[in-house]
Amino acid sequence: MRIPTLFLGFSALILSSFASATTIELDVNGLVCAFCAQGIQKKLHAIPATADVVVSLEKKLVAVSLRDGQDISDDDLRHALTDAGYTVKDIRHVDESLDDVRQRLKTKTP
Amino acid sequence: MSRFVGTRWPAALLLAVVVPSLVEAKPIAFANGTTVMTEYGAGTMEEVQAFYAPYYWLSAGAGYLQLDSDERNRARDIRYLRVNYLVKRWNLDDAQANVFAWGGLGTATGNDFRGSRLDRNAGFQADYETRRVYVSFMSDLHESDRYSHRVDTLQLGVAPYAYDYEDLATWFVVQGRHYTGDLHRGMEWAALLRLFKGGAWVEAGVTTKGKPQAMMMINF
Repeated sequence: MRIPTLFLGFSALILSSFASATTIELDVNGLVCAFCAQGIQKKLHAIPATADVVVSLEKKLVAVSLRDGQDISDDDLRHALTDAGYTVKDIRHVDESLDDVRQRLKTKTP
Repeated sequence: MSRFVGTRWPAALLLAVVVPSLVEAKPIAFANGTTVMTEYGAGTMEEVQAFYAPYYWLSAGAGYLQLDSDERNRARDIRYLRVNYLVKRWNLDDAQANVFAWGGLGTATGNDFRGSRLDRNAGFQADYETRRVYVSFMSDLHESDRYSHRVDTLQLGVAPYAYDYEDLATWFVVQGRHYTGDLHRGMEWAALLRLFKGGAWVEAGVTTKGKPQAMMMINF
């Protein structure tokens, strides 16, 4: 009785973790001006799976949230940013909503 | 800061509309983007340009350039088609550097020759930019069988604070400009205030001789 309960709890934890991992962060080189951010936003919004995009010049970061049930491969994201004229250093999937990422980015580095 | 900016933004916009100007910006803003630019330098030039960029490294469009000599009573009206090409870009950790080149053809009329002439346009721009420092050099040549005018522009910009995408960006820019073809003798120096936010860019200032300079640019 205890083992199935633990198994179900663990499964639910794993599933909820996957379910919330709908934001992808990219570290980008060359991100220094508003026009850079504008171009990247335009490029990423053209991808059907993109729900929203946040760009931080200070953190040199682009964050993308996905529409429910959709995905963008890392290769496609890297290709989109390269096509926009920028260099992607790193891509990672985070367990935060885009609003959470936006809030985190608003906390200025001292 | 935002209150300070809020009171200055409409004033700068008004200044740029009332006092047209002249300055440079990147000839290609971003892929699938349209750039509309208007520049004015009192007594020397006025220019309007519109470009569309299918790629981040290529744009094409049209422009109108009016050149006036403040030494001799010469005037040129040039309408041209132009292609801009990003020769090289360096995406660095905290900076970006670019080299652009362009070329085009057009028609020109002037007050010291009859009829319309074929105008040939060529130029290049090299720039380096961080969130606090901006340096660029641009050389733009227009010539025909009756004239040759080259305008070389050096800009040094400093931002008093590091802005982010949703902030208003403020830059203090010093500009040095040299004209060939009897348009202006010696270097023309100007101090400019540059503001931009989102896709809108406004720049205005004066030369050391008190002549107004300004530019407006919209990217969408």
